[in-house]
Amino acid sequence: AAAGAERPQVVSHVQQALSYTVFDCKWVPRSARLLCLGSAARGTGLVQLYELRGARLELLREIEKPKPIKCGTFGATSLQQRYLATGDFDGNLNIWNLEAPEIPVYSVKGHKEIINSIDGVGGLGIGEGAPEIVTGSRDGTVKVWDPRQNDTPVANMEPVQGESKRDCWTVAFGNAYNQEERVVCAGYDNGDIKLFDLKTMSLRWETNIKNGVCSVEFDRKDINMNKLVATSLEGKFHVFDMRTQHPTKGFASVSEKAQKSTIWQVRHLPQNRDIFMTSGGSGSLHLWKYEYPAQRSKKDSEGSEMGVAGSVSLLQNVTLSTQPISSLDWSPDKKGLCVCGAFDQTVRVLIVTKLNKI
Amino acid sequence: MPVWLREHSWHQSLGAVYLSLPLRGARATAANIFCSERYLKVSIPPFLFEAILYAPIDDTNSTAKIGNGSIFFTLYKKEPAMWDSLTLANADKEKLQYLRENAVLKAHEKAKEETEAKKIAKQEHKKYALEATMKVEEAERKRIEDLKEKERQKVAKELELWKNQQKDGDKYKSIHKKGELPQEIEPSKERKSEKMNKTRIPNEGTSKNRFKSTKGHGSCSIFSQNLKEEHLPAPRAAATIKVNFTPRVFPTALRESRVAEEEEWLHKQAEARRIINSDLSELEDLKEEEKNPDWLKDKGNKMFAMGDYLGAVNAYNLAVRLNNKLPLLYLNRAACHLKLRNLHKAIEDSSKALELLTPPVPDNEKARVKAHVRRGTAFCQLELYTEGLQDYEAALKIDPRNKNIEKDAEKIRHLIQGTMQSS
Repeated sequence: AAAGAERPQVVSHVQQALSYTVFDCKWVPRSARLLCLGSAARGTGLVQLYELRGARLELLREIEKPKPIKCGTFGATSLQQRYLATGDFDGNLNIWNLEAPEIPVYSVKGHKEIINSIDGVGGLGIGEGAPEIVTGSRDGTVKVWDPRQNDTPVANMEPVQGESKRDCWTVAFGNAYNQEERVVCAGYDNGDIKLFDLKTMSLRWETNIKNGVCSVEFDRKDINMNKLVATSLEGKFHVFDMRTQHPTKGFASVSEKAQKSTIWQVRHLPQNRDIFMTSGGSGSLHLWKYEYPAQRSKKDSEGSEMGVAGSVSLLQNVTLSTQPISSLDWSPDKKGLCVCGAFDQTVRVLIVTKLNKI
Repeated sequence: MPVWLREHSWHQSLGAVYLSLPLRGARATAANIFCSERYLKVSIPPFLFEAILYAPIDDTNSTAKIGNGSIFFTLYKKEPAMWDSLTLANADKEKLQYLRENAVLKAHEKAKEETEAKKIAKQEHKKYALEATMKVEEAERKRIEDLKEKERQKVAKELELWKNQQKDGDKYKSIHKKGELPQEIEPSKERKSEKMNKTRIPNEGTSKNRFKSTKGHGSCSIFSQNLKEEHLPAPRAAATIKVNFTPRVFPTALRESRVAEEEEWLHKQAEARRIINSDLSELEDLKEEEKNPDWLKDKGNKMFAMGDYLGAVNAYNLAVRLNNKLPLLYLNRAACHLKLRNLHKAIEDSSKALELLTPPVPDNEKARVKAHVRRGTAFCQLELYTEGLQDYEAALKIDPRNKNIEKDAEKIRHLIQGTMQSS
């Protein structure tokens, strides 16, 4: 364990009180600006653009939309355009040009119910292949969209006819290391985690972690799948080693019980894929480091390869609020800078120091 | 009678009296000496020495040295004057007594004062110690706060610096930045080196310097845009992947489920199925299948459907004899009894069924509703309307959406009100 003076510190830089419920917050790539997405008291959606100026956040622009907005991503847009893709409470997927937000660049009513989670890949100079957006919704389906194709998704993962549906709570792209390969990982409220391979259009792996899955994320979207972190209710999260898939046992994992409450989000540090932060229902943030085992794979009794999970150690934790911290985003441009939004209607900009020494 | 010590010797100076008292072999300690302003006593049982001093002395500063078989007193006079003698010559008994008592009193007072003074001193010390620790802790806390502040300021400054870098980069548009390209690329390359695909760096170099999304694209960027588009594959061919979800006996989340109760219910069911109450003697006449309670239940159900209520009852009776823990047998037998108008038996069977249908879980909801409805019907037919209504309301509680039950409950309520009014 690192000595007290050498551990990363989480410094709260700016706090901004908002007059609405914030569901998601994202940094605008290549800038010191951030977006807050949420729902105003009167039931409309709000997008606010802030700029970090000195010790305060200055509101640059406020955009109001008819339906509350649940989630957003810049993942599928180019660096010049920086269009924001959002999912709202009504199941609509929209892509907005923030300079001209009156009419969306792309719009589709993708789902019958609220879009709980959205992710994008192929944009921002990260990853290869076509830019795509994946949305996961309460109607139990996970759909992948290409902004060049209107109205119909390019992939649709839906329950079998007659199967009772389970809410999909979270989605994430991964394995996008060349133009053909891509996977989507989806987490559901009954604890199911499913890995869909988009190249072969099939279900590659599934498992169940007993508690509803709140958030999944690959450590990097644009490399050969390395690690996947899945967080769930009741304070548990699992780190799966995705390099070696065993035919029956799937992927090796290590799990950690961190907080007594739900772990709402996990986000990997863009500059170091072995460090990630989890945010909890008790208003706390935990910073973790994953250590690889001596050997990442070994042979089992029948000779097939199986992965070996490493270990996770806690670097730092801090409690910022009494309400759950529901959204978290690292800045891709400045190491250690992150923004988090909590249900106490506050958005906080934090700086994590000493990450270079890890 | 004490033995008086009289062989003392003394001499004096202007300010002090020196008295030497040999002890005849006795051992003296500080406790044996009692001294006040005018009275001096040494008492080592059985020896005794006392002296009413000629003039007052300062008893706090005077000393007594014990050693060498004698005590050597150094008594400091209150008023420097030469004494005629050590003791007062003409001391009558009363004065002696009075002086003695006075001395004792004075000594007591002094002792009290001393303890008081000690107590106060102690409190002062404690307070001081407390303040000192508080100060130390304050200092520590301040030090940590200062460290944190410094950290915060350092970090804020770095942020400002980074932001200004961004802003400066902002000023250079595409046409001008060719010169700056090499410098700009270096730091950004370092940041993203692990993730960048090598072939895309030339494109990325141009696009990276776009800090603000503006409409004005320079010449280079248009080319980079086109190049990029050529690399993009066509949209995927649409396909659907069908998924199954992990089945759960109870579809609620882990923490919402009443797992304990549900486990109990499942356990009970499993147990019930395994019991075979055997009265072997009578059962030997039966065929194999007739010994199976489930088969008998099915037989009973079929006979009920055909209208052969007595036959159904027989089947259920046999089944119960084989296994008296299956709630459904009692439930179905209750239905038969209702049809046969054996109302009391119907009530009994419904009650037994309800007993077996504990703990109440979503799984046995339907069965419980049926049991309540049947018992309610039986009560009503016996004209015990209030009990009947109770059962109907219980059924409604379990299944609030069943219209038939609601209607029947309404009817019963009207009946009750009607009878109450008429009686």
